[in-house]
Amino acid sequence: MLKSNIKLTILFLLAIFSFSKINAQAWDVPADKKAKNSYIKFDENTAKEGEAIYTKNCVSCHGNPGKANNLKTLNPIPPDLGAAKTQALTDGELFYILNTGRGAMPSFKNTLSEEERWKTISYIRSFNKQYVQVVSKTDPTKSKLVKIKLDVDSLTNKIKVAVIANEIKGVVLLKDAEINMFVSRYFGKLQIGKTLRTDSVGCVLFDFPKNLPGDSIGNLEIVINVNDEIYGEIESINKVKIGVPTNKPSLTEKRAIWNVLKLAPWWIIITYTSILLGVGFILLLIIKNLFKIRKLGED
Amino acid sequence: MCEKEDNSKNKSRREFLQNIGIIGLGSVLAGSAIFAGFNYDRKKTNAQRIKVLTAENELLEIDKNDTTKVARFKAENLTFLQKRGREGIKGKRWVMVVDLSKCRNARKCMSACQNAHHLRPEQHHINVLKMQESKGTPPFYMAKPCQHCDNPPCVAVCPVDATFKRPDGIVLIDNERCIGCRFCIAACPYSARVFNWAEPLNSEEDKDLTYDVELNVPQRKGTISKCLFSADRLREGKMPYCVSACPNGVYYFGDENEDAVTNGTTKETVRFSKLLEDNAGYRLMPELGTEPRVYYLPAKNRTSPYEDKDKPEASEHLDSSHA
Repeated sequence: MLKSNIKLTILFLLAIFSFSKINAQAWDVPADKKAKNSYIKFDENTAKEGEAIYTKNCVSCHGNPGKANNLKTLNPIPPDLGAAKTQALTDGELFYILNTGRGAMPSFKNTLSEEERWKTISYIRSFNKQYVQVVSKTDPTKSKLVKIKLDVDSLTNKIKVAVIANEIKGVVLLKDAEINMFVSRYFGKLQIGKTLRTDSVGCVLFDFPKNLPGDSIGNLEIVINVNDEIYGEIESINKVKIGVPTNKPSLTEKRAIWNVLKLAPWWIIITYTSILLGVGFILLLIIKNLFKIRKLGED
Repeated sequence: MCEKEDNSKNKSRREFLQNIGIIGLGSVLAGSAIFAGFNYDRKKTNAQRIKVLTAENELLEIDKNDTTKVARFKAENLTFLQKRGREGIKGKRWVMVVDLSKCRNARKCMSACQNAHHLRPEQHHINVLKMQESKGTPPFYMAKPCQHCDNPPCVAVCPVDATFKRPDGIVLIDNERCIGCRFCIAACPYSARVFNWAEPLNSEEDKDLTYDVELNVPQRKGTISKCLFSADRLREGKMPYCVSACPNGVYYFGDENEDAVTNGTTKETVRFSKLLEDNAGYRLMPELGTEPRVYYLPAKNRTSPYEDKDKPEASEHLDSSHA
């Protein structure tokens, strides 16, 4: 009985183990993300900078690439990134994994810049002698030419974003560029809707939520992030009056038992004052009567 | 007469021309001087001009070379910090969301907090507790900081106004005023407060520091200490120590007025109301009417199954007949 139990447990554990292994392999990366390449040319310097980022963010679980000192107690096991299986992935796939994260692995989309993420991949690639980099067509110097225009329809709460590039040969409409819309908040950027791609005339339409609080007159700081294959990453910050005007009172304005003396509840003020007045009145009455008794004695 | 007139006319014309010459030259010189000065000033604006905040809270821009550092007396500094600590940050209502489904008992929040506030290992502003609702259900871990109630019983009982609620929602403790009566410990339903029974950990090293009410450092023997939502960090636009230290993405922190909270690990910002709606957010002991500013998301995805060794731990909280 006991033996069969142990057998069953082992079988069960094996099943879990094999399942987790399958699970660890299945990264479902969309084709366009898979083909993405770095605009940074990987060399010794980028790998060195990437190593610093890797040591800070990745080494605690993945270990040092090629040393097989990854944290094997986790499920799924974070792979050794110097191993052949990781190196077989495309740069785009590695970039996607860094961006999205899964399970215990966090997303680094908001914590590392695109440059830092590519440099980390550059470090990982430095452990692969056979690796030949394909640099993307992106020309970061061209990003200055791009102009982002916002068109706000306050009736329907829709924002139209048009992206153009003022090239010497004329105005170019940015087609099929990735557009993200964010609203600035105290600790970070809140994404509005999903990532969209511009249409054939370089435009994209965002549905803006109708209940997002703005400042006292409803102004919001809207950040548009454009990511184009040729022009690279461009960001523009715009002040738009599309939020709900918010001017909430401070939390210490109401009368409460815990508030300062000036803002004590009325019932405390009334009870306290009337007790004081009552006691004072009685004391005065006693003094008056004492005088009365003395006077009676003198007579 | 005529000659004389002519003479005077001639003279005046000469004078006139002379004058024009002088004025012309003068204006060219003045113009170039102004232009040079303007250019010099413009250059200065780029590099050497700095913004300063006066004691009257006015923001001015001045030349960097014109400044002299004034040493502030310790007492003055203390008054400044205390005033700032009472006023809080305008227009904010801080709020924390703790996602229990992600907590794996890494306890990084606790160590970051204890380092920042110079606490002894047994003193907790934030504590990660092992919880078990009933016998047989898998346990989970729950981080518990001060709940920063909107109706704080601890503040109501303080006889000396040492602990107070700020306009931005944070409940702070001023250990310069605290008399150590510990009424607030008794009043707090969440056991969020600790007392400095012994000499604080770094009392020797900290003795020359000016007391910052937003950090509660240096700690003082015979006074209360408590979670401060890292009020000093919020002023710099950073998230609390515990929130930033979590490796598992348990904490979200933000401003309720902006309806947005940011995850301390992934730095992802989400709508506060939607996060609570989608994940059945709740608050601790709502029946007490304390209105906490800390929200919890339920502990699903529990990883550690129920084990027999959990039994004695769980039985503490259960009816003795079941244990």
